[in-house]
Amino acid sequence: MLNTFNSSIVKKAVSKKNVMNYISFMAIFILVLVFTAMDSSFVNKANLKNLLSDTAPLMIMAAGMTFVILLASIDLSTGAICSVANVLVVKFLSIFSEKFGNIYLAALLSFALALVFGAFAGLIIGLLSAKLKMPSFIASLGLMSVWKSVALLITAAPISIPKKSWGAISWFNINFGVIGFPLILAVLLIGFFFILQSRTVFGKSVMAVGGNERAARMAGMNVNMTKILAFVLNGVCAAAGGIFLAAKLKSSAPTVGDSFTLLVVAAVVLGGTALSGGKGNLLGTILGVFTVSIIRNGMNIVGVDVFWQNIVFGLVILGAIAITTDRSARSLVIK
Amino acid sequence: MEKKLLFKASNITKVFAGTRALKGVDLEVYEGEVVGLIGENGAGKSTLLKIIIGVQPQSGGEMTMFEKPYEPRTPRDANSAGIGMVFQEQSLIVNLTVGQNVFFGHEKDFRQFGFVNWGKMYKATEAALANVSCSHIPARKKVLDLNFATRQMVEIAKVVNLTRSSGHEHCLILLDEPTSVLNETEVQQLFVEIRKLTAQGHSIVFVSHRLDEILSISDRVYVYKDGENAGNMPTTEATEERLYEMMVGHSTTTEYYKLDQQRKPEPDVVLDARELGLKGVFKNVSFELHKGEILGIVGVVGSGKEDICSVICGDEHPSFGELYVKGEKRRYFSPAQALRDGVLMIPKERMEEGIISGLSINDNIALSNIRLLRSGPFLSTKRMVKQTQDWIKRLRIKTIGKDELLASLSGGNQQKVVFARALCSQSDILILNHPTRGVDVGAKEEIYGLIREMVKQGKSVILLGDTLDECISMSNRVIVMCDGLVTGVFDAPVENKPSQVSVVSLMM
Repeated sequence: MLNTFNSSIVKKAVSKKNVMNYISFMAIFILVLVFTAMDSSFVNKANLKNLLSDTAPLMIMAAGMTFVILLASIDLSTGAICSVANVLVVKFLSIFSEKFGNIYLAALLSFALALVFGAFAGLIIGLLSAKLKMPSFIASLGLMSVWKSVALLITAAPISIPKKSWGAISWFNINFGVIGFPLILAVLLIGFFFILQSRTVFGKSVMAVGGNERAARMAGMNVNMTKILAFVLNGVCAAAGGIFLAAKLKSSAPTVGDSFTLLVVAAVVLGGTALSGGKGNLLGTILGVFTVSIIRNGMNIVGVDVFWQNIVFGLVILGAIAITTDRSARSLVIK
Repeated sequence: MEKKLLFKASNITKVFAGTRALKGVDLEVYEGEVVGLIGENGAGKSTLLKIIIGVQPQSGGEMTMFEKPYEPRTPRDANSAGIGMVFQEQSLIVNLTVGQNVFFGHEKDFRQFGFVNWGKMYKATEAALANVSCSHIPARKKVLDLNFATRQMVEIAKVVNLTRSSGHEHCLILLDEPTSVLNETEVQQLFVEIRKLTAQGHSIVFVSHRLDEILSISDRVYVYKDGENAGNMPTTEATEERLYEMMVGHSTTTEYYKLDQQRKPEPDVVLDARELGLKGVFKNVSFELHKGEILGIVGVVGSGKEDICSVICGDEHPSFGELYVKGEKRRYFSPAQALRDGVLMIPKERMEEGIISGLSINDNIALSNIRLLRSGPFLSTKRMVKQTQDWIKRLRIKTIGKDELLASLSGGNQQKVVFARALCSQSDILILNHPTRGVDVGAKEEIYGLIREMVKQGKSVILLGDTLDECISMSNRVIVMCDGLVTGVFDAPVENKPSQVSVVSLMM
C-alpha cells in the first residue's frame, strides 16, 4: 500500500507536466559543471560578466515572445525586427546628434523611433494573424524576409557609433559586481510582464485564447485585440533587443538579429512554455534564457566552431519540443 | 416462407465516461429486408451502428452474423464479415474518379510492375457497379460531377464490393441518414436502388429522421428511446402516429423539471428577432423574448435552431432581418459585443467551446466578467478568488479547490463552472445550448433548478434542450423548427404543456 503510494508520487513528480519545471534548473546546473570542468576560465569574473551582459538582449526578446507562444502562435520575424531596430538606432543616433547637438536627446529620440518601428512590425503580424487569419509562422516568415532586406537597405555595412555619442549608450556598461545594468533592466521587464500575465485582463486573455481560442471567443473575450497586443509587445521587445545590441556593440550590424530568432524560441520553449499555447509563464522563460546563454557562452569558451554552435541550438530546440509536446492533441497547429 | 436470419444483436450496452448511451438494445435483420431504425437524437441509433461496424466496442451484449459470433474490432473486420456502412457525411473523395473511390485503399490489388493498372481497376469498378445494378454510373467520371444520389450509390457500391470480396453471398449495409443530403427525386432514385439490392438478398439497415421515408422503404421498424428498445413491428402495422408515440414515450415527472417553480414571464420584451435569416440555413425567423421567460427552440439536427443561437450571441452575422436587444437595433460582429449588451451563450460542445481545460476553475469562472474584476489597471485577486469560492459553494462544484484544472473535473462539474461563468457575467439574456448534454441525472436536476432560479431573478433564457421532453417541460413557450423555417409555436404553461407527439409532428 505504502509502496504503491510512494511510486505514484514518484510517477507524478516525473510526469511530463513537471519535467519542464526542473529541466532548466538541472540543465543549468549540469552545463555549468561540464563547462567548468572543460575550461576553468568559464567561471572567472570576466567571463561571468560577459555571459550575464550577453543574456540581457536575449531575455528582453524572449519576454515578448513568451506571450506570442502562449497564444499558440509564433513570430519568426523577431530577429529581423531586432536587426532593423538596431540599424535604425545607430543611423538616427548620429543624425539626431548632429541636428540637436544633445546626445541624450538624440539617444532618446532614436530609441523611441526604434521602439515605434517594433510596435508597427508587431502590429502588422498581429493584423495578419488575427484579422486575416493567416498562420502566424507563415505571415512572420514572409515578414522576416521583408525586414531583413529593409535592414540591409538602411545600412548595408556595419557603421559604428561615433565616439562623441558613446555617452548616450554608456548605461549599458554600468555594472554592479558581475551583474550589469542591462540585465537588471531585462529582469525588471520580465517581472513586469509576469504581473501583466497573472494580474491583468490582457494576461488572462492570452492564457484563455492560447488554451482554447474558441471557448475564449464564446465567453465574450476580445480575441483579436489580445492577439494584436501580444504581437505588438513582442515587436517592441524585439526592437528593444536591437537597441541593447547597438549599445553593446557600439555599432550597427544589419544581420545582428538573424541568429536570435532561433535562440529566443529555444529559450521560451526550454522555459516550459508549450508551443500549443495556454501553458507556461515568464519566470520559466528566465531559466530558459539562462540555459541558452550558458550553452552559447560555454561553447565559445571551450572553442566550439560557430557553425557547429547552430547545429547544437537546432538540436536543443528539437529536443526541448520533443520533451514538451503534448502528443495527445489531435492536431498540430501553430496559429 | 421463413426468411433466414442474417444479423442479430442482443442486449447491447455502451457506457461513455459514466453515462449509459445504450442500456440494452436488440436488432435482428433477415436476408433481403430493409430494417428501419428510428429514435430521437441521442436515442442510441448512431452508437449502435458504430458498434456494429467496429468503430467502437460495445460495453456488453453479443452480436451474431450468419448465426456465428461476430466481434469486429475495426471496420475492416466488419467488412470481411460481410457488413458495410455508408456514413452520414459522405466519405467519398470528390476530386477522384468513381473507380478510384471504390477501390480507395485497395490500389495494390491492381499493381503491375509497381504501377497501378487503371484499366483493370475501372473494369473491376464497372463490375462492382453492375453488381448493385448501377452500371449506368461511369467508372471514370470524377465524383465531383455526380449528383448526391448517385454519389450515395457509389458509396453503396463501394461498401457492397468490399463486403462481397469477403466471400459472403449476402451482406448487410448500414445506411446512416442517407437521405439527409438528397432532394425528393434523388430519394426516390435511392429507394429504387435499395429495392434492387434487397431483391438480390442483401439486407439494409436504414436510419432516418423522416418517418414517411421509413414507412415507405422499410419492411420492419425498430424504435429506440433513451438507449432502450421502445419496440419493433412490421411496417404494415405501423403508422406515423404510433411511431411518434413510441419515440417520445411517456412524459417524465413534474418534480424533475421543477415545474412548480415555473413562472409567468413579465410583459417587457428584451429581445426581438424580426425576419432573421442566415443564407442557406434558416430564414424568416421572428420571435419575441420576454423578461423572465424560458423560450425553447426545438427541431432535429440541421433544422437551423443552433444557427439562430449563433446569430443572436454574435458568433455569426445574420444575412437578413433585424435583431433588437432591449429596444436597440443591434448587429453583432463577435460574442464580445453581444456580451456588452448582456447576451451570452452557453455553447453546446463543452470541451471545444465551453471550457478551457488547461486553466483553473478560478480562471474559467472569470472568463466572461474579467473586465469587472479590475481595480485600477490590475485584477483584484481577492475579488476573483472570493467569486470563485462563492460559486463553488453555491453550485456545489465538487473540486479540491479553486486552482484545480478544469480537465480533471467531471462533465457535470465542468458544466457547473460554465454556468457559474455565465451567471457572474451579469448577462441577462442567456442562450443555453444543450445545457445538460453529457451530464449525469443528478447534475441535470441541479441545472434545471439553476435555470429556474435564473429566470426568477429576471433573466431571460433561450433554451435548446437535449431532449424534447426537457425543452417542453422547462419552457414557457416552444418554437418548432424544420428545415430552417419556424413550423409552429406552442404556449407551454404549467397546466397545459403541449404533447410531445404534437411537437414532433411539426419537426419532421
